[in-house]
Amino acid sequence: MTAAAIDTSPTPIEHEDVRDSRKLGFWLTLPAQLLVLFIAVFPILMQVYISLTDWSPLDGIDWWQAHQLWNSFANYTDLLDDDRFWSALGRTALVMAICVPCEFLLGLGLAILFVDNFPGRRFLYSVLLVPMMVVPAVAGYMFFMLFQSGGPVNDLLSFFAGSPVRIAWLSDPNLALFAVIVSDVWQWTPLMFLILLAGLVGVPEDQLRAATLLGASWTTRFVTIVLPRMKTIIIIALAIRVIENFKVFDNFYIMTGGGPGVATETISIYIYKVTQQELIWGYVAAVALVILITLSIVSAYAIKRMSQSRETSQ
Amino acid sequence: MTAIHLENLSKSFGSFTALKDMNLEIADGEFVALLGPSGCGKSTTMNMISGLLDPSEGSIRFGDRDMRGVPMGKRGVGFVFQNYAIFTHMSVYDNLAYGLKATGVARSERDRRVKDMAEFLHLTPMLNKPSAGLSVNILQRLAIGRSAIMEPAIFLLDEPLSNVDAAFRAVMRTELKHLQRQFRQTMVYVTHDQLEAMTMADRIAVMDHGKLLQVGTPIDVYNNPSNVFVAGFLGSPGMNLLPGRTIAAPAGLCADLGSFGISAPLPVAGLSEDRAIVYGFRPEHCELTSGEGIRLPVTFVERIGARTILHMGNKETSLRGVFDNDVPVRTGENVTLSIDPANIRLFDAKTGDALTEAR
Amino acid sequence: MASIAFNNVTKRFSETVAVNNVSFEIADSEFFCLFGPPLSGKSTILKLILGLEKPDEGEILIDGKPVNHVSPARRNVAMVFQNLALFPHMSAEQNVRFPLAERRMAESEIASRVAEVSGKLHIGHILHKSPAQLSGGERQRVAIARALVRDPVAYLMDDPISALDARLREETRVELKRIQNELGRTMVYVTHDQEEAMSVADRIAVLEAGSIRQIGAPSDIYDNPNSSYVAGMLGAPAMNLLALDAGNSSALDGALALDQAHVPQGASQIGIRPEDLIVTPAAASDETRVRVFEVEPLGGVTVVTLQTGETSLRAMVRGQPKIEPDSEVSLSVAAGQACFFASNGEALRA
Repeated sequence: MTAAAIDTSPTPIEHEDVRDSRKLGFWLTLPAQLLVLFIAVFPILMQVYISLTDWSPLDGIDWWQAHQLWNSFANYTDLLDDDRFWSALGRTALVMAICVPCEFLLGLGLAILFVDNFPGRRFLYSVLLVPMMVVPAVAGYMFFMLFQSGGPVNDLLSFFAGSPVRIAWLSDPNLALFAVIVSDVWQWTPLMFLILLAGLVGVPEDQLRAATLLGASWTTRFVTIVLPRMKTIIIIALAIRVIENFKVFDNFYIMTGGGPGVATETISIYIYKVTQQELIWGYVAAVALVILITLSIVSAYAIKRMSQSRETSQ
Repeated sequence: MTAIHLENLSKSFGSFTALKDMNLEIADGEFVALLGPSGCGKSTTMNMISGLLDPSEGSIRFGDRDMRGVPMGKRGVGFVFQNYAIFTHMSVYDNLAYGLKATGVARSERDRRVKDMAEFLHLTPMLNKPSAGLSVNILQRLAIGRSAIMEPAIFLLDEPLSNVDAAFRAVMRTELKHLQRQFRQTMVYVTHDQLEAMTMADRIAVMDHGKLLQVGTPIDVYNNPSNVFVAGFLGSPGMNLLPGRTIAAPAGLCADLGSFGISAPLPVAGLSEDRAIVYGFRPEHCELTSGEGIRLPVTFVERIGARTILHMGNKETSLRGVFDNDVPVRTGENVTLSIDPANIRLFDAKTGDALTEAR
Repeated sequence: MASIAFNNVTKRFSETVAVNNVSFEIADSEFFCLFGPPLSGKSTILKLILGLEKPDEGEILIDGKPVNHVSPARRNVAMVFQNLALFPHMSAEQNVRFPLAERRMAESEIASRVAEVSGKLHIGHILHKSPAQLSGGERQRVAIARALVRDPVAYLMDDPISALDARLREETRVELKRIQNELGRTMVYVTHDQEEAMSVADRIAVLEAGSIRQIGAPSDIYDNPNSSYVAGMLGAPAMNLLALDAGNSSALDGALALDQAHVPQGASQIGIRPEDLIVTPAAASDETRVRVFEVEPLGGVTVVTLQTGETSLRAMVRGQPKIEPDSEVSLSVAAGQACFFASNGEALRA
């Protein structure tokens, strides 16, 4: 067998294979890029435009003519004086400060239980994921029924108390907040559980064994090895839930409509109501934009922390 | 410092028997190598000593203490993993200090011991560096230091040099030997490399397919292998093993080695005629002769520095001989080998056991 | 016409110079070995041959033609990876024919090439099996067949057997040499194991930090190293490097006597390989006694570590002589078996 002759005509472009695949990639993703442009970027530009005007659909002019009602940053300054906005914002932050840690701790606890195999693990695993698969609005309706005065929650409490319990969950401002928080924790703990379980399983077993042999207790191992190695995953999980929880709408709205009064009015419910009831779309655009920017900063920070930990904790 | 007693130790995983009836006594302060190919049960034995696995049958005692039911963390053993299992998210210092911190040693004492150990293992310059990304040779020393600092009575090492480059292996072998001499720990060392076992161990335990075949000092096991596997596994290259049958000859009982001819009279008395045996001799014990002997074609000449290895034989049976570099032989030539009868080892063809007088 | 040639090739990775002005020629059908410690540039040179890296300076020629600007796919050099990288979901035969199927060859041509290569590597009878069903040695031969079926100019192997058991390594390196002999294809082989390099190579290039220190046949480099570095790289235990005493008539403060006539001008060090250091029991009257520090019986040979003052050295003695630790012995060198080095490490001839 003689060696086949090689083609040595110089190829003018270096790394031509890389160039080729990049070009192909561009053309293949072009439809998706146009779609994203249309759905995400364009509406935001539209929103910025409207937020600088005093436009409302009742004015009878088309939106692109809203510049006639230009009011510069008046909407943004009004925002600062809007008490209802700030209390909604504060309430949303409170809900987040309770929901996310609860979901995290419960999810972590469940994940720890599920690391090792046990009889029935597969079945229980599927059961645990069910709440996540329920449509949030449906979950809202479910908990609405559960927390009725004559509903199952009160029946259960009556059973344990021995005497009839008739707590008006959804009409009491404080209890309503409790009820909506419960519904959110029920629905989204499985997500935390999933992500944290993946992180737990990724901790190298040999290192855990080495730590055991060096005399470390379970707690020491957890704190010194498991948690540090899960740093990236934990940040991802928390970032996802913080951003999503901040925007919570469906189940809260169905359960209480934001009430009683404004007891459970989160920022999304506030925006919705102002949009639907007072129809000052220019103002609402400004509010929504402020929220968007805040959340973008949060997620940018999380991503930065993530890539930093990626480099240091291999 | 503790002696280890393994009695009738067995381990099965479902229908697969990893280890069967292992009996081994390791004296206090002794360095024992568990030597054997992949899958022979050496790592399984080690994992049972450390407490990672429970025996299916038999018992393990450290001194007088029965280890049944004693969890891994409470056995007082140091363990060096094959892939080191360094806590890569911590610095070198924190890795060394880990065990001391976990068991509540005071900070000043911790600091002193970490610095001493780092000095001993030449790790001081990188003490505060992150352990991720350091070279394998450094990780190796760190893994040893991390366990040694706890001053365990028993030190277990699971093929620690297999990831290390060849040149550095020689350096590490010396360091490990000195470490063991200095701390006088009972050391159990798992390896597939017979050279490592020969240079470092006080005694070698040769294993294959879940069975302990022979235990003895390196030279004993080398000179007097108890069966064909041990004979072929020790030595570089291993012992040559030729199938043959005993045959009566004018000079005495010899071995008929088929196409290789008839051997000189056998050194073992009392064997019956026409018995299937294995005729063994080590590559360094054969000499080229122009007289009588075993006739072989040379298939390959391997020159590796201090010596030359001649590969001889045919497709079914390949033999090796070790000679000086000036051996005047080329590939394709025929040679005749003569071997001092004192260096011949005979084994039963069926059982593989060594044949000595009166069998 | 050389199979592969490097002319003053340099490759840098930001600050570090991985390959430093390297030149060599690999002849057709040669088994060429790149040998050196980790990070000496061996794998980078392989990548340069393959085309996965481009040289910053210099020229690379394959089959006499410059290939600096030829993409890897067109260079016709095949690589056998350390982990073999066989496709687990395909049979051995599908693995072997894979590179050809990519090139849209006629089916009959593919079949005949596969048959030819399989015959040469004696894997015809296992072609139908999947990699999981094959032994380590068989898998290696399938990987080599896959590399060969493209009819490459040369094939490259990067440390292919270091992960195997010690016993298997000894057998496989002989097998690899035999295969290369039969096939007659140029082989470029990277290893850090000096015994392996000497066993398989027709010529070895000894590398240090990106530069080639010496190229030659294994026995040539072993017997005539051009520097103390190269001398120390081949042979185990490593060559003993001792400072010469003033007057050049001895080393080790007189413990080792030398014939002054054989010591070249300007020599400051003598290098003696352990197998050339002769150890004899010392008579009580012997003033040049040396103490035995350690005796390591390895079966076929015994390594004796000796100590005198601050210096320790090693001798490798055949068989199992009766030497006790802490006993005293006399040393001498086998005639004509010493190397001499200047203070800069360069080898000197008498």
